[in-house]
Amino acid sequence: MAETNGHDGKPAGAGTGAPAGGNGSGGNGNGSGNGNGSKVAAVLAGAKAVRTRAVEEMKETVKAPDKTDLWKSVLRVKHDETPRSRALGVLSNVFLHLHPAKINRDAVAYNYTWGMGGMTFYVYITLVFTGTLLMFYYHPSKVVAFRDILYLENDVPFGKLLRNMHRWGAHLMVIMVELHMFRVFLTGSYKKPREFNWVVGVLLLVLTLLLSFTGYLLPDDQLGFWAVTVGTNMARATPLLGHDGPFGAQLGMTPFNDVRFGLLGGSIVDANALLRAYIWHCVAIPIIASAFMVVHFWRVRKDGGISGPAPVVLESEVKEPRKV
Amino acid sequence: MSDQDQDKDPVVHSSLSKPLYISSILLVLSLAWGLYDEMYGIRPWKGYEARFVKLYSTFLRQQMGGESAAERQIKSQPDYQRLDREAADAEKKVMPQLAQIDQRVNNVLVPRIMALNEPFQEVRSHIGALTYQIETTSSESTKNSLRQQIAEIKKEVKYVRLPGDSDKKAYTYDQMDHQLQDWKTEKAQKLEERVALMKPANDLRTARDKYLSDRIADASVDTLAGVERSLDKFDIRIRQIHIKDVDLVDRCESCHLGTREPVTLTAAAMGGQTVFASHPGDKELLKIHDPDKFGCTPCHGGDGAAVSSIEKAHGYNEHWLWPLHHAENIQAGCQQCHVKEIVTEMADTLNQGREVFRLRGCMGCHRYESFDREADEMTSVQQQIRTLEGQKAEWKREIGFSEQKGNNPRTSDAEAKRLFAHANDLRVRSSGIDAKIEQLDMRSVELVKEVKKVGPSLKEARMKLRKEWIPVWLEDPHKWREGTKMPTFRLDKDERRAIAAFIWQSGVGGQLPPEKPGDSDRGKEAFETRGCMACHSMGEGSAKQGGTFAANLSREGEKANYAYLVRWVHNPRQRTLPYCPFEKKDITAEDYARHNLPFVFDLDHDKCPNDGHQLQVQQMTPMPSLRLTEDEARDIASYLMTRKHDGASYEDAGYMDDPSLKNKGLLLVRNYGCAGCHEIAGLEEESRIGTELTKEGSKPIERLDFALLGHRAEREGWYTHKGFFDHKLADPAVYDEGKEKAKQDKLKMPNFNLSKPDIDAVSTFLQGSVDSTLPARYFYAPADQRQDIVDGWWVVRKYNCMGCHRVHVGQTTIFDTLQRYTDPDWKDQKPPTLIGEGARVNPEWLMAFLNNPSLSDTDTNRDGVRQYLHARMPTFSFSTGEIRKLVRFFEALSAQREPFITQKLEPLSEQERVMARQLFSSEGAPCLKCHMDGDAKHDAKATAPNFTVAKDRLQPGWTRRWMLDPALMSPGTAMPSGLFRQDGERMVFAGPTPPSFNGYDKDHAELLVRYMFQFTPDELNRLRGSIK
Amino acid sequence: MDFHQLWTIFSTPDNVPIVLLLFVVPFYTWYGLRQAFANDKLITQLEADPAMAKTHHRKIQPFKSGWAREVHVWPYLLRIELLAAIIVTIILMVWSITLNAPLEEPANPTLTMNPAKAPWYFLGLQEMLVYFDPWMAGVVMPSLIIIGLMVIPYIDTNPLGSGYYTFKQRKYAILTFIFGFEVLWVMMIIIGTLIRGPGWMWFWPGTTWDHNRLIFEVNRDLPDLFGIKGRIPKIFFGGFVVTAYAIAAAMLIHKLITWTEFNKKIYKRMSVLQYVIMQTFLIIMLALPVKIFIRLLFRIKYIWVTPWFNI
Repeated sequence: MAETNGHDGKPAGAGTGAPAGGNGSGGNGNGSGNGNGSKVAAVLAGAKAVRTRAVEEMKETVKAPDKTDLWKSVLRVKHDETPRSRALGVLSNVFLHLHPAKINRDAVAYNYTWGMGGMTFYVYITLVFTGTLLMFYYHPSKVVAFRDILYLENDVPFGKLLRNMHRWGAHLMVIMVELHMFRVFLTGSYKKPREFNWVVGVLLLVLTLLLSFTGYLLPDDQLGFWAVTVGTNMARATPLLGHDGPFGAQLGMTPFNDVRFGLLGGSIVDANALLRAYIWHCVAIPIIASAFMVVHFWRVRKDGGISGPAPVVLESEVKEPRKV
Repeated sequence: MSDQDQDKDPVVHSSLSKPLYISSILLVLSLAWGLYDEMYGIRPWKGYEARFVKLYSTFLRQQMGGESAAERQIKSQPDYQRLDREAADAEKKVMPQLAQIDQRVNNVLVPRIMALNEPFQEVRSHIGALTYQIETTSSESTKNSLRQQIAEIKKEVKYVRLPGDSDKKAYTYDQMDHQLQDWKTEKAQKLEERVALMKPANDLRTARDKYLSDRIADASVDTLAGVERSLDKFDIRIRQIHIKDVDLVDRCESCHLGTREPVTLTAAAMGGQTVFASHPGDKELLKIHDPDKFGCTPCHGGDGAAVSSIEKAHGYNEHWLWPLHHAENIQAGCQQCHVKEIVTEMADTLNQGREVFRLRGCMGCHRYESFDREADEMTSVQQQIRTLEGQKAEWKREIGFSEQKGNNPRTSDAEAKRLFAHANDLRVRSSGIDAKIEQLDMRSVELVKEVKKVGPSLKEARMKLRKEWIPVWLEDPHKWREGTKMPTFRLDKDERRAIAAFIWQSGVGGQLPPEKPGDSDRGKEAFETRGCMACHSMGEGSAKQGGTFAANLSREGEKANYAYLVRWVHNPRQRTLPYCPFEKKDITAEDYARHNLPFVFDLDHDKCPNDGHQLQVQQMTPMPSLRLTEDEARDIASYLMTRKHDGASYEDAGYMDDPSLKNKGLLLVRNYGCAGCHEIAGLEEESRIGTELTKEGSKPIERLDFALLGHRAEREGWYTHKGFFDHKLADPAVYDEGKEKAKQDKLKMPNFNLSKPDIDAVSTFLQGSVDSTLPARYFYAPADQRQDIVDGWWVVRKYNCMGCHRVHVGQTTIFDTLQRYTDPDWKDQKPPTLIGEGARVNPEWLMAFLNNPSLSDTDTNRDGVRQYLHARMPTFSFSTGEIRKLVRFFEALSAQREPFITQKLEPLSEQERVMARQLFSSEGAPCLKCHMDGDAKHDAKATAPNFTVAKDRLQPGWTRRWMLDPALMSPGTAMPSGLFRQDGERMVFAGPTPPSFNGYDKDHAELLVRYMFQFTPDELNRLRGSIK
Repeated sequence: MDFHQLWTIFSTPDNVPIVLLLFVVPFYTWYGLRQAFANDKLITQLEADPAMAKTHHRKIQPFKSGWAREVHVWPYLLRIELLAAIIVTIILMVWSITLNAPLEEPANPTLTMNPAKAPWYFLGLQEMLVYFDPWMAGVVMPSLIIIGLMVIPYIDTNPLGSGYYTFKQRKYAILTFIFGFEVLWVMMIIIGTLIRGPGWMWFWPGTTWDHNRLIFEVNRDLPDLFGIKGRIPKIFFGGFVVTAYAIAAAMLIHKLITWTEFNKKIYKRMSVLQYVIMQTFLIIMLALPVKIFIRLLFRIKYIWVTPWFNI
């Protein structure tokens, strides 16, 4: 590097002293001391050149960061306002690509979808987030469980806020799911080709309720305890499978082998029930629900995006079904 | 399609930035809010701490002014000066040596050690590494070569320049090692010397500081200054007590910052902020219950971990099970751990509550563990006896059968053998049962003495009461005699008639022989001086005087029957018929006749003629016998008969003989549980009608029946245990309000007309009666003498000893309140105080005395110790158990070692006896002027205890201390102080001593003690002789 | 009027969602139906005037030629989603700061809460317990609801109204759903939360929830009303009545679904299976209000009494 520089310097160096020295050394290799000096000068000159260049490059990068390889490697597409990059922006993004690149102009408006589906999903995410944090402070065992809640309320930084958010988020989610379903029905969005996705939706509704219900017991206070007792007492009346249910007794169902026992891991709501509720609430149901959600969203896309607002169809245009 | 105006597409061109902008701002705001809430919203204590620091430091500054003045004053005291000087001198004395040592250590040894240590460490680590290699390599050759290496290194010479030296010194490894050792040891020695030298000075200084701290009220200026300095770097943080074994976290002190400050902080001092005040009450309290071991909430309630708001911290929020006790019930916390106690120090409200609970007969209807336990035990003992008897009878039959069968010729020999063996076996076993029964009977001998009823026996109503009075009394006892124990039942006319009739007809028949009248004036005198008034009160309204332990007798004349009254005053425990708990019936003369035994029953003839089991031969009243003469009894009785409202008239009550009413009455009496307090024929074994209250305080609030008042209570904020108890006690019928009930279903609890303080006290007691979740170490169950105190209090309270005696410091007796005893001539007539009794008297003697205070079987109409007192120690006929408890109680109170060992005294030489006698009778020491000596003539005018009994009664050690300074032990005693003066090591008599004392170099007080304790009857005669 | 009581009920943290429901459900019903009616107006117009039908873009949303029929998700949709997310977060934050999640005494099996209530979203079922035995209310009904919801797409043969709000074209379906969702589900929840007090007794809003309250009501079984004795007769009688109801209900429903010409068309498109399934579910669904009705008015507990189960 320095070497080449030395050569570059040659023509320019006419006026300057140091390069001259370099020059001399370059020309006839006599006088070692002199030569030494010139080498140093050359190195210095080289360093200066490198610096100027580095500065140049920095300027460029700052001016147009999206030209850099790093930028490209992360974002892959340009973000100018051309239709192409707009489309790519969505398609090439792992989170966004559940969306199509373009959608029905009117579907954007709030009044059609009420945005309930999306918000439900968002609340679900907040719940997972807060829930995970809460898990750090909670032990699913009698006595300790209740104490942990007090601990959350009194000691844990933002513990109270976390718990409240989790609780109210859960309620909010249930409400939103129900409204979402209501909307979907009103717009007849379950009709061909979306029948199956409606079924998935119903399953998600059930899972949502179960999530909320299993969470209810975890504080292990009177409220949760009796709510769950009431809830699970219905299970004892399951036909055939509950010891109080029709034909249950005839089928040899007792409080110790019926479906309720299975749910609670005992004949009463106790430590085992608490643990089971915990596992269902924190592990099993979330996984299942997530799986169904993926399917749900995937199907939305595959069934041709959200259903509308579609152009109205007139009665007169109804084709007679082919009689089989 | 056709129209051309190309206005913009709203979806594409409408901008969303405004809503986005606004909502983002809102989002940020909400986050900020969340943050603020977290930092301050739910952390109010931060404000408190800041405020505390401000107030406290200002307070301290003021304080220091005052303190320092006081302190200067003390520091100017000669003693302090002296100590201070001595300390200084001592230090000055050793200064040079100290300097020497310090010089040597700091300037020579330490630097040298450091200098040499460095190269030494280097070499050592090198060697260590090599050694490790040796240990790890396998090949011998390598090992050897390494060993070689080490050897060389050790030989290697290091040149070190030590501080102070000019040139370097040469050291091999070992040399360095030794050198270092030497220096280190030297250093150690020097330091030890230093400490030794400083010791005297330091001791003096501590003595000086102690002198100061002993005399300063609260804290010395230095302490205050220290505290203030600490305030400068006071950091705002949670202050919490964490107790592992209870898993308890109490953050109370994050706001209540003054609680444990070295300086006592009053609310006033802290700008009227009660929250910052120090823990109220005796400092002792927190010493015993060190918050770091006990926490706050276990005693006070509340939610110790919660600091988000006052309401939550105090546990007043809904759903919190252990709310903070209110100020007036604060001592409820004590009861939680001090269960099974009737008296708990420093808990007066609580004690009052327990006392009311016991005295007003609450435990007659409500079971409460450890209250009235004798009655419970009695029933269980009788029950056991019955079952055992049953067993015995059964075996007896079986024995009969098997023998009969065995004797039957048709049974085979083998079989017969077996049967006889079986029979014998049973005989042996039933003899075992006899032993058991005997034990139980012995226990019941104790119990019949211990069982007491709150109210009088109604079996004797016929002989005792004026018939017409009963219904009037039933209507409203408090109207007839205000403040009486008997509560007011809500009875209607018919019920009263029925109950009266039942009581009247179920009473024991027959009349007492008429008594001749006594002198009511003498009676009055006796009543007021004998000690009756320690329990009974006389006079009404403001004129009322005397004790509240027993009834007020101002209207006795209206209700009582003279003959009965005489008997009662003469011996309250006397029964008309004995009661057999085993057969559950009264034993009549016929029963005795049937077994042709004389109809005699008393504490010596207390076995049932029918079955040989223990009889109840006493009235179950705590009232003792004053060992009065028949005449005296008549006098007092006649005096009492004069106590009546003149013109009080009672309407005829003929219906009380109507047998048809009896049964209705019985049902009512059962229903209202009268047998809880009274002994009633046929209802002796009635069980309690009320709910058990031992754990009432922790009953779920839902289980307390507020009936129709629940919602009102919630709205008015008394839907709590406290609220329930307070309202119930103030008006026991309150929860019937608005209820539609049949008479017999209504709430039965009668109205006790409790005063507000009493209500608070009882409420406190009940709120404290919880099913505690605390670990065992919290509970007060001492394994040492303190348990004797706990047990003793039960007896002391049961018999109202404190009516006459001062048992602990700061207590007043009834006598202190009586008009008559304020008169100087009567001051010395007060019964003796018992503070220090355990140290004063010999326990064996005390036992004997408590058993029979007359200390004589023949002449019982006297007081064994203080005949000069009009008031008289009565005979309580304690059970031996109770006596033991009492004695141990006093022993424990004055920390006497158990078991008691009499102190040995060196025998009195003949000439010493003479000296003592002379001194005793000398003009200078007229002991016998006041002290009784057993000579009736003399004792009549004596005013001090009988010193002839001293040797059995007193403890030598105490006697000496007493003679030296009686005023110290019982202020205001008639015994003069200053009889002796210090003379070098010994005490010598202050007054003129008889010539025989010349050259006597022993302790005079000691001499007198030994004289008294080796006193003999004939010595008494000599003494008397010498007085004349 | 006990406002204190009202307040305690409404301010109970876990009842807040129900209070919320009281507002949002009506709002969104109105919000949806308003668009439905708008569409219906458009439809009538278009039907009236075929020419217009050919050219019109057939939406209530405005449209001009030259406007893109589709827009880019980025940014036009995503920005709205972002906005929604932010707003939800705000709501959640504020709600959580201002209102604390409930925490009562530690669980205590020996101390029964009165009333002991399930979580609010199950109170509909708990309320049903009043009218049906647990096996019915707690197990059969819920599972029927779930299945019923699932089969909707497969039995709704109406080709119209897919992807746009309309009432005119789906009167029957929409009414049924609104009835099921709002009247049966939401109303029952609201009753269970706000009306049912201690002992699950009926307390009108504003009356005090008095734990001591006692009410006298005898609930008889239908067979007894008709004085039918003996087990077998009862079984048969009950069975008969139930079938009678089923048939009546079926006929009623049939009448409804073949009300208008249009309905008839849809009915024609139905396969037998679809028809049967629909009938079954609707009959059962209808049974609920009917039972409530006779229970509350005639105090009839069971209609069909058998040794194994009662209905």
